[in-house]
Amino acid sequence: MMRTLDKYAAIFPVLVVYAVLFLLGLNMSGMWQLMATLLFYCALGQAFNIFLGMTGYVDFGYVAFVGMGTYGMAVTITSLAGTGLGGLTIIAGYIMALAFSGLLSLAVGAVALRLRGAYFAIATIGVNEGLRFLIEGTNLWGGSGGIIFTRQLNDILGKDASSALATFWADVLVLIIAVLAAITTIVYMRSKIGYALTALREDEDAAKVMGINVTMFKILAFMTSACFAGLLGATAWALKTPYVFPPEVFEIHYTIEAIIIVMLGGAGTLLGPVAGGLIYGIGKYVLSIVLPGFQLLIFAPLIIIIIVAFPDGVVGGIRNKFGHTALGRFIL
Amino acid sequence: MAALLRLENVSKRFGGIVALNQVNMEIQYGEFVGIVGPNGSGKTTLFNVINGVYFPDEGRVLFEDRDISRLPTHRRASIGLGRTFQIPRPFASATVRENVAVGAMFGSRGKETNVNESMLVAESIIERMGLSRHRDKKAELLTPVEKKLMEIARALAMKPKLLLMDEAMAGMHPGEIDRLVELLGGVAAEEEVAIVAMVEHVMRAVVGMAQKIIVLHQGEKICDAPAQEALNDPKVIECYLGYTPEEAS
Repeated sequence: MMRTLDKYAAIFPVLVVYAVLFLLGLNMSGMWQLMATLLFYCALGQAFNIFLGMTGYVDFGYVAFVGMGTYGMAVTITSLAGTGLGGLTIIAGYIMALAFSGLLSLAVGAVALRLRGAYFAIATIGVNEGLRFLIEGTNLWGGSGGIIFTRQLNDILGKDASSALATFWADVLVLIIAVLAAITTIVYMRSKIGYALTALREDEDAAKVMGINVTMFKILAFMTSACFAGLLGATAWALKTPYVFPPEVFEIHYTIEAIIIVMLGGAGTLLGPVAGGLIYGIGKYVLSIVLPGFQLLIFAPLIIIIIVAFPDGVVGGIRNKFGHTALGRFIL
Repeated sequence: MAALLRLENVSKRFGGIVALNQVNMEIQYGEFVGIVGPNGSGKTTLFNVINGVYFPDEGRVLFEDRDISRLPTHRRASIGLGRTFQIPRPFASATVRENVAVGAMFGSRGKETNVNESMLVAESIIERMGLSRHRDKKAELLTPVEKKLMEIARALAMKPKLLLMDEAMAGMHPGEIDRLVELLGGVAAEEEVAIVAMVEHVMRAVVGMAQKIIVLHQGEKICDAPAQEALNDPKVIECYLGYTPEEAS
């Protein structure tokens, strides 16, 4: 029992941060939206880290999985509206979101994960852009007109419930997804999966020689990460704002944000995406108030400075320093 | 008993270059074999074909009578094929213990060994290799010789039946070589590991330990004999020095 606790002790700081964000948002007036945004960044980082951090592969098309999750929920709600399934529709939407992002990641992973380094990154940009043009060009799911399903959501849940969903419960669901992603991360890290991913991240050929089926583990990490992205899309982009437009959900800007969050905090660490999400989210928010219009100009060099000071990310840097002390087991 | 590893007429070409030409060889259980040959003679290609990095263009590779010619590398590891590299390739950010444990987790005993058991296996092998005090160090912080020892430990943790060693002793001083040779001899005998060591420079290690030596030259096997005999073979001397002793006199 003690050993198991010790093994998973590193999850506690993550849970504490999430709890603090949640309670701050709940109890301070006007803070909920900021806390929800921070939670979204943390969740996005946590989900992306399972692939980017643990395998070392950079996916520039990551947002496509968030987008597919959004579409999964949107398509389900529009096609099941009027069937009287009520709340079950939302569950069906989540299943569809998982299916969309999971299947896309399986298809992309089975092909693109044969490429390494920059070639993989380029291929994934192509997937993201290609998907967007496919939807727009073939008029799939409303084409470039997108899907607006505010009315259907109101029909299914009732007006009050769907507005409570948009302003509160969707954010709580994001928090739950963030916690699930953190739990998945530590379970992976502590199992053979984590060791296989570390080995292939450091040296893929040597990992093969050790008996690791690198393709299988890469696809596993890719799909896990993509499924969490899909859940996030279905929640934060579909349930919270009941519309979806291709240029918005396939915007590469979100992928870049996710990469920055993971790298800032510490790729491959458990606490890293949380630290990265907080630094990025708070930094962006504060600068947009203090220096409106100039926030990106100031923020970019700040990010560069942090990355130069902490090449392994903030949490990576702290772990290098304090990893061997009594605090070490809480920093992962 | 059948041979542990058998190569039957194995050829491998890269474009017009024949890297391996109709090579036949056998390795017995628990045997120690040295693969010798000058630069470009096909030693590394031979290892890569045995290991599954390349598939042979012709011929077959048999491991315990099973045709593994087209088996991917990671599957070969799980049936008992281990390998170390000439330039060590540690998993740099992981500790020494984690590195070695990876071998136990995914090698031939991988299916029945969980993470905790693998750590215990790793600890006993690390102790045996004399790396105990570096156990919790990151692998990237080791010296080159320590990295080499760690890599051998990692390969042994896989519990291989056959261990391919690529220039394992290069860059070590004679004292270290003797120590390693003794250690390997002990482990090989105890665990019944056959070791195939590729050697370009450090003959000392091979002659001391090898039951037989296979000499490659321009992709062909030119000699397959006990150590002393092989090193005195005129063809071997010719390929290293460029002329036969008769011509010189």
